[in-house]
Amino acid sequence: MSVQAEARPVPTADWVTIEDLHRDPFPIYRRMREEAPVHWVPAVNRYMVTSYEACHIIENDQEIYSANETNSLMKRAMGHSMLRKDDPEHDVDRKSYGSVLRPKAIKETWNAIFQANSDKYLARLKAAGPGADLIWEYAAPYAAENLRLIMGFHNATQEDLQRWSQTMINGTGNYADDPEVWAASEKSYNEVDDAIDEILPYLLKNPDNSLLSGLAGMPIPMEAIRANMKMTIGGGLNEPRDVLGVAVWALLSNPEQLAQVLADPSLFPAVFEESVRWVAPIGMYPREVTRDTVLEGMALPRGARLGVVVGAANRDPKVFEDPEVFDINRPKKPHLAFGGGNHYCAGAWVAKASVAGIALPQLFAELPSLRLDPGHPAVDAGWVFRGMTELPVLWDRK
Amino acid sequence: MAKITFNHAGGDVDVLEVEPGTSLMRAAVTNGVAGIVGECGGQAMCATCHVYVREEYLDALPEISDDEDEMLDCTVEERTDRSRLGCQVTVGEGLDAVEVDLPESQV
Ligand code: HEM
Ligand code: FES
Repeated sequence: MSVQAEARPVPTADWVTIEDLHRDPFPIYRRMREEAPVHWVPAVNRYMVTSYEACHIIENDQEIYSANETNSLMKRAMGHSMLRKDDPEHDVDRKSYGSVLRPKAIKETWNAIFQANSDKYLARLKAAGPGADLIWEYAAPYAAENLRLIMGFHNATQEDLQRWSQTMINGTGNYADDPEVWAASEKSYNEVDDAIDEILPYLLKNPDNSLLSGLAGMPIPMEAIRANMKMTIGGGLNEPRDVLGVAVWALLSNPEQLAQVLADPSLFPAVFEESVRWVAPIGMYPREVTRDTVLEGMALPRGARLGVVVGAANRDPKVFEDPEVFDINRPKKPHLAFGGGNHYCAGAWVAKASVAGIALPQLFAELPSLRLDPGHPAVDAGWVFRGMTELPVLWDRK
Repeated sequence: MAKITFNHAGGDVDVLEVEPGTSLMRAAVTNGVAGIVGECGGQAMCATCHVYVREEYLDALPEISDDEDEMLDCTVEERTDRSRLGCQVTVGEGLDAVEVDLPESQV
């Protein structure tokens, strides 16, 4: 690139701490973005990329910005999945998912299953009564049960899926090398492998529309199937749960927008898109630089480990006016919450259908005067993954 | 080289000369032609590369695959008989020039 000569050195953000990021990363992202598109962040041991432009460039250039990270904790926790491969290897794995997560299958198969699951867990929330936590009584089991059936784990429970997902995610983030975290993560790793070994022969004889059924009998190495299943457990459960929680919280905190949506339920897809823009459920994901390069004017050495902070890019004022504000009426612009390029989220349509198509409309239709609980404030937390950790709600019993 | 003409919703026109084998989406994204997003990088997965191909070029296009067909039902602007995904149409052999109209919005 012609700007090579003018490349700026990357500033160090030694003022950033993990604790602050976990509590509320957005003021940190704003300060970083205003200073430079890329920082070296000692606390995270990575370069953090926070501008929309730079994140977008990375997503679309897998030759310079490889997903195949060396010493990846994700590879250790889950195996070498498609998410850590570049094309052409990535493409083989990705194609092995076939049409299972695509709109036609959702319409023909999954929507009815999502609806049944939403009915089931909404009944559980109602039974728990006003004051119950919407995340743990509804959103989490709903997302987990949907994923269990999409994947074809007929020999596991939604509670298993939740445990597997959380413990392996903790492994991918175990930079402190905590042996207890590794032990829990490895236990889940082995449980998932056993569950796959048990269910594949069953699905060969009793095929259905699930991912594992499609993979049974496909000429793809067992090692790849196992890694891709673990990555999908980790990437397909917490994210729909979290966007659901954030969307409810945002609407309940913005009465005018809530009234607008209640009067016009066709706005739920806009609520979904604005929620994932405002708080990206996956706030940061890694890439590695394959050769000395210049990214939006910043010099990066070969081997540099990057954090692509889409949670920050989605609040870049160069793209989104008044970016810190939740506003379902903002001009529509493409956000980066689902990533982009060859790793663009394979489950994006599943998330939209299950959350915007079914869960949100049903929650607001069946829980009259749904509102936050003034006595028990909601809690949002996290940065690599961010969502509601507590969302106690009240409603009027019919 | 092959020629692609993009007619924007507002009336502006972008004309590109690109290598044979380039998709309309890739041509637009690498040359900064607004109006095509291409979020999924060409996997027929995002429906943000929707174009309306001008009548006279329709017959020269490849068949619409099942993946493209279902995704064309997910575009933000209305699907018509001229609708295609820009990532699934490649210029070159049999199509050394093509002209498309861009929808007002992709998201
Ligand atoms: C709102 C919900 C979701 C969000 C925000 C989200 C976000 C993302 C992001 C950012 C990536 C790319 C990461 C990277 O490039 O390193 C990704 C990839 C992926 N997601 Fe999602 N996801 C969501 C829901 C789901 C669901 C429900 C599933 C499965 C049913 C799923 C399955 C996958 C898979 C398999 C990949 C890997 C794609 C590849 O490497 O080609 N996601 N997701
Ligand atoms: S680029 Fe995503 S469908 Fe064409």
